[in-house]
Amino acid sequence: MPRTPRPSATFPAAVIEQIHELSDVGHYEIRGWGAKRAVPSFDDLTFLTSSLTRYPLEGYREAIDTTTVLGAGRAERPLVLDVPITIAGMSFGSLSAAAKEALGRAASAVGTSTTTGDGGMTPEERQASAKLVYQCLPSRYGFTPADLRVADAVEVVVGQGAKPGGGGMLLGQKVGERVAAMRTLPEGVDQRSASRHPDWTGPDDLRIKIDELREATDGQVPIFVKMGATRVPYDVKLAVAAGADVVVVDGMQGGTGATQDVFIEHTGIPTLPAVRQAAEALRDLDVHHDVQLIVSGGIRSGADVAKALALGADAVSIGVAALVALGCNRSTTTGDDRSPPEDVTDDYLALGATPGTCHHCHTGRCPVGITTQDPELEARLDVERASRRVENYLRSLTMELTTLARACGKSDVHNLEPEDLVALTVEAAAMAGVPLAGTSWVPGAGAGLP
Amino acid sequence: MCGIAGLLITDPDQRPQLGALLAPIFEAMTPRGPDSAGLALYGDGVEVHKQVGPATKLTADMALADRGGTCGIAHTRMATESAVTTEGCHPFMAGDDVGLVHNGSFSNYATVRRDLAATGVSFDSDNDSEVCCRLLAEQLAAGAGLAEALGSVPDRMDGFYTLLVATPSEMAILRDPAGCKPAVVAEGSGWVAVASEYHALSELPGIDEAHVFEPAPLEVHTWRA
Ligand code: SF4
Repeated sequence: MPRTPRPSATFPAAVIEQIHELSDVGHYEIRGWGAKRAVPSFDDLTFLTSSLTRYPLEGYREAIDTTTVLGAGRAERPLVLDVPITIAGMSFGSLSAAAKEALGRAASAVGTSTTTGDGGMTPEERQASAKLVYQCLPSRYGFTPADLRVADAVEVVVGQGAKPGGGGMLLGQKVGERVAAMRTLPEGVDQRSASRHPDWTGPDDLRIKIDELREATDGQVPIFVKMGATRVPYDVKLAVAAGADVVVVDGMQGGTGATQDVFIEHTGIPTLPAVRQAAEALRDLDVHHDVQLIVSGGIRSGADVAKALALGADAVSIGVAALVALGCNRSTTTGDDRSPPEDVTDDYLALGATPGTCHHCHTGRCPVGITTQDPELEARLDVERASRRVENYLRSLTMELTTLARACGKSDVHNLEPEDLVALTVEAAAMAGVPLAGTSWVPGAGAGLP
Repeated sequence: MCGIAGLLITDPDQRPQLGALLAPIFEAMTPRGPDSAGLALYGDGVEVHKQVGPATKLTADMALADRGGTCGIAHTRMATESAVTTEGCHPFMAGDDVGLVHNGSFSNYATVRRDLAATGVSFDSDNDSEVCCRLLAEQLAAGAGLAEALGSVPDRMDGFYTLLVATPSEMAILRDPAGCKPAVVAEGSGWVAVASEYHALSELPGIDEAHVFEPAPLEVHTWRA
């Protein structure tokens, strides 16, 4: 009798396929999105909502505050948001101008901010975004004093969760005429941005850079420092020492427009322990009321937002989730007033993906017009309809967040605290520093772990 | 889950009756809090009495009905998230002579407690009300008056509460923004009485002529002895 074929746990089909591909092309795989493997996450936590010892707030009668103030410690004009959910930095170049504009309009409609990316600020996104955070990246592509002065906050990017220690990447097929002009690069040539800033390395020099940016903006707007989550306690303390008004910590689930798969899957720590470590670091320094914490990396739902806030974040940033709200990984385009939505499943298949599994932002062939510079593809995204979707999504996240916070008896979402949470797995309990459900056991507590 | 009771005497001639008038109000709060009872009694200085067990035991043990004074605030406790111990009993004292009793529960006390602990404040219990009391003490130490200090509590403490506070010269009350936890005040001739439920006040002499009302949410009321 023939034996049942026996797959290898060490070499499952996907690994075998990857080795075949590497052996065919001779270089690493590049792709978009964030980590695809399972890591301990906010899903492994649950809230201890009110019952008899505590009382919930009424959903429709009792107000709950979601106002979020970023950079109140030092800046003349702190960033005041109506909701604690912001849109993360994504570049024009990686995203189409239409996608950037749609994100800006949606964020403005709900009173929150968007963020530029590598390659500078477009007039459309400045116009569409009532509150715009201007990134200062290692490449400095398109970074100008004029744009700096019209920013509502400045974000010095040390790294990002998808590739801490790595630089930006924009493959040649996305370096169209306008993108090339903004970055003063030749058209159609792969762009690999620097991994380090040209004028500073380490916190001693970063301090000078931050002083410089503060001077250039006349002390008006807050200066953020964004980092990928690796040695979080030390990095957060050093960012504060260098003068950050807001620290942004991006966990390993954080997405990207393009980078090496090996980076995406094998660097950094999950957002779950990162938020706890960052919040503890700010508390250790006794600056947690003056320096705000934004966390990002795999935030998808109002529950994720609520759990991040409970563990000590002041706000969260969303990137991939905002793209999904725009229509990423949908089988159809948005359609517009003249034409109905069009099924583009075949275009996903041509990329080697399906609607629901696509991570092909790096190709510039986005079937729904989000991560492309091709005018025909970009036309598939109707700015009005796409921005309405993101607005709906942001409002839904906020309603989910306030539902949970009210049930925990909070009249302000920022009053959520770690004691409102328990963990469903030993791993999550240790990483989040909250007890395993039904016990008072916090694995590793008191062990002096960073 | 608790009961609160308070009596401030504004007519010096009635001061010898403080204990006799307060004891029945206090005891009437027993069903709301049978676990433990406590009292701060103001006259020549302040005395704090706390013990595990019902209010009737405490009032008998200290012969409250025979005691005079200017003001007393009392509490009957049904423990929620912290242990039934003498340390967990109210009133909590902010500084030497500011007493606080609380009915309700704070939903962010762990955070405020962490903040206070980081500044060197130490705690006698794991009770949420003690956190509020320490916060109040901090405000008073910084120079705030009683009304101002009490009025600033909602800026930091979230949740549901009726707070009754006394000093050697004043008594004050504050209810949460939703007015969720109860309180009834009666301003009589020569006295002001407070309880969680009206029936506790119904036997006071002259109650029919008193001005009886429920304090509005977030309104600080203060009375002087
Ligand atoms: S649908 Fe577009 S945005 Fe979404 S993963 Fe694919 S290429 Fe990227």
